[in-house]
Amino acid sequence: MILRLVIADGSQSPAVAESVEVAEDGALTGWRSVSDGGVGWFAGRLPAAELAEIQALIGAAGAAPPPARPRPEAAEEVLELTATGPVRIAGLTDGPGDWPRLAAASRRLLDRLTDFPRAAVGVSRTPGGGARLEHRGTDPVRVDLGTVAVTATAWRGYYEPAGDWAGEVTGPGEVEAGPEWTYDLPIGFEPAGPDVTVHLTADFVILSGPTRIPVRAKYTPDA
Amino acid sequence: MASANQRTPEFEPPEPVGVRRPDSGPTGPVMLPGAGNAATARMLQGAPAGPAGLAELSRLAGNSQFARFVAQPPAPGGGAPPTPGGVGAGAHGGPVQELQVKLSRLQASALPLTEDGRYGPLTEAAVRNFQTSAGIVPVTGVADPVTKAAIDAAFAALPAPVRVQLALGATGPDVGFAQQKLNAVGANPRLVINAVFDAAMMVAVIAYEIAALHRFPNGTVDAALWTALDAGVKGGFVASEGASATPVEQNTPSGTADSLGAQVAGTSLHPVTGVGGLIQGPAVHELQQKLNTAGASPKLKDDGSFGPLTRTALQAFQSGRVPPLPATGTADKATWDALDVAAPASMTGAVERQWTEVVGGATYSMVGAGASHYSWEIQKTRMLVTAKVNFVGLAAPGAWFGHVEAMWNQYQGVDAASGRSLPIDFKMSSGGGGDANTVQVKPGTGRANAGEWFVADPNAAKTVPHEFGHLIGLQDEYQLHPGDYVRVTGHEPPVGDAAGPAVAPNVIATNLQNAMVARNSANAHAASVGAGVKGGAFAQRVVQEYAKLATVTVPAVAAVAGPPPVPAQPAVPLTGDLLFDLNAALPSDNNSYETIQTFSYSSGSIMGDPGRVSDPHDHGAQPRHLGEFVAILGRALGGTWEAKRR
Repeated sequence: MILRLVIADGSQSPAVAESVEVAEDGALTGWRSVSDGGVGWFAGRLPAAELAEIQALIGAAGAAPPPARPRPEAAEEVLELTATGPVRIAGLTDGPGDWPRLAAASRRLLDRLTDFPRAAVGVSRTPGGGARLEHRGTDPVRVDLGTVAVTATAWRGYYEPAGDWAGEVTGPGEVEAGPEWTYDLPIGFEPAGPDVTVHLTADFVILSGPTRIPVRAKYTPDA
Repeated sequence: MASANQRTPEFEPPEPVGVRRPDSGPTGPVMLPGAGNAATARMLQGAPAGPAGLAELSRLAGNSQFARFVAQPPAPGGGAPPTPGGVGAGAHGGPVQELQVKLSRLQASALPLTEDGRYGPLTEAAVRNFQTSAGIVPVTGVADPVTKAAIDAAFAALPAPVRVQLALGATGPDVGFAQQKLNAVGANPRLVINAVFDAAMMVAVIAYEIAALHRFPNGTVDAALWTALDAGVKGGFVASEGASATPVEQNTPSGTADSLGAQVAGTSLHPVTGVGGLIQGPAVHELQQKLNTAGASPKLKDDGSFGPLTRTALQAFQSGRVPPLPATGTADKATWDALDVAAPASMTGAVERQWTEVVGGATYSMVGAGASHYSWEIQKTRMLVTAKVNFVGLAAPGAWFGHVEAMWNQYQGVDAASGRSLPIDFKMSSGGGGDANTVQVKPGTGRANAGEWFVADPNAAKTVPHEFGHLIGLQDEYQLHPGDYVRVTGHEPPVGDAAGPAVAPNVIATNLQNAMVARNSANAHAASVGAGVKGGAFAQRVVQEYAKLATVTVPAVAAVAGPPPVPAQPAVPLTGDLLFDLNAALPSDNNSYETIQTFSYSSGSIMGDPGRVSDPHDHGAQPRHLGEFVAILGRALGGTWEAKRR
């Protein structure tokens, strides 16, 4: 491991509890709990150029930065490097300097992670306007769909609110989702108009052995 | 801003009439503070009253505390509210808010009315209900003078809160309310609102008896003392509001609220202006106005542009100080300090506020380039407060600007003595430069923070005004220590749940510490929330018991891959401050957040946590949030200005 970033925020539900880790050979692994790109486990390999960029940033950063207090409402962000051990970086905002650049690059790795789903579930919009959970990756994942909280938010033009809906769908309970698996969630919301965009969220539970982890899959096509 | 499912605070109903017998309580042996033990013991045994006794007792709590009590101003809240004329649908302002308060207490509304000063359908329905029940015809839903008089009479006839005589060892909500009021009249040190009549409270009671009642103390909160406390301080009881008879704890005002974040020591509130700093805009206007007041000759044109004349005048001002300041042409902290002395007032100003806050046991800040930047201008017909934002990333949706104005433009400054008033408007503008706040606009949704907003935030109508509050220097009002809560809100911490579960506070405190040592947030949650601990007085007894435990160091732990992942954590020496320790030792998850919530205080205002705290009396933008700007009006225009709903 040359870099590990963990972001956690228990003030919202489901909690944000996400991680990304880069190995010396570029292997990229991690977990997403609240994400546009699916929730669950992710694993892949960074192209050589991206790995070299990360390595260069790590090398430039060197010793741990001076403590920087985070802004109000900031989540906890802990970056762990071989040279420094765990360092809190929530106070490092984007900007010039080796550490801010490394912090920003590390945060981007969490988004990059979703390009490599291994055992994940995402949500999308069906042609009929409903929500659809779909497996992503190669490995199965156990999910509890006993109760799925769904929200739909419609936008017109440039993010002008055009209505919203929230409801709960009673699903089949615990199921194993593998490749090609989907599950449709009806929503009672049919926004009309050629320039309307609908965003969706679906809250459910992923099972990891005996551990139940509440997650939120998001569909934000313009994100 | 935190988001969560809404919860209804739970409050204890008033105790029945009668004298509360001291009980053993959970606090163990009661020890009075050393200096006064002997005097107090004699007094409690009926020692003779008189000057000698009083003189001896005056040593009990220290002269400073007596002085504070004696120096208390006349009881606030005793004056009659302004009398509104006939008001109906669409009306707004302070009189409507007063009407809403009364309608809720008279249980004319279905549920407690949100006191927003807006005469909407719920207020109108409540007026109709009142008119019907009072036999007023026709039933119009308009608070005409007849209806208003009847409402006022009915409100005045509401029974006063039932007060119970309290003595050493008593427990329960009434003790908590007495503690609130003793704090509000100046108890020093402040009492923890723990609903236990303990030694610390005894000291405050005795001091107040001597200083305010001028009597030989008997160490009890009896009818006379309650009368004095109730006359001096509003609130401090639970009322049934609305036809639903929803119990709502009435806030106890205490001191003057300061809702701003704590300014970083040694920093200036003025941005560096002139050579090497801002060379145009409100900061330069303020500089030119103050230089003129300080005697610039020739007088500067107040054009907000830092040109050669302004530079020369600034250098002359710097050279003219005794001892002289370096004539740099740069208005730095030292120069601004001198200008503020020479010219305290101006009609325009720019603020760069570096501040910190402690929330949930963690410290957050807006400092350096991330400091709060805002400006204000006293115009002919209004005061305008502007926070300029440099939105980077995506463009800011247009609706965001309207959200700020909808939430914040509800008040006016009023100088009661002169009758002057001036609306105070807030505006978020888009722009760059050294006096702009930087906000990253990110795609999709997520939890915003002061410098990072999400373009598709479905709760932007609340998120953006909350974050805007940070841009004008306001701190958060959730998960606060008691002292911060009273400073920021101007209310005493609520009594809340005084009884607690059937588990002793010291046992819960020990279980919490064990959970911290094990870094186990689920155990911490089970030991507190799961055991039935709710926010309020009982929870504060747990906080006190926790502070008595021997501190230990929680060993470092390696990262846990999870899921859920947990970062590596260094060793944590526990401090005895429960909020700090919970935050430092436990992973940041839902369990730890709810546990911290239980042992801290939050308001329901826009700067608080309205998702978790529902408070019809304290919601949205509050007058306290405008404190800085009414003070500015006073300096610039003279008089004593207050923020009132318009």
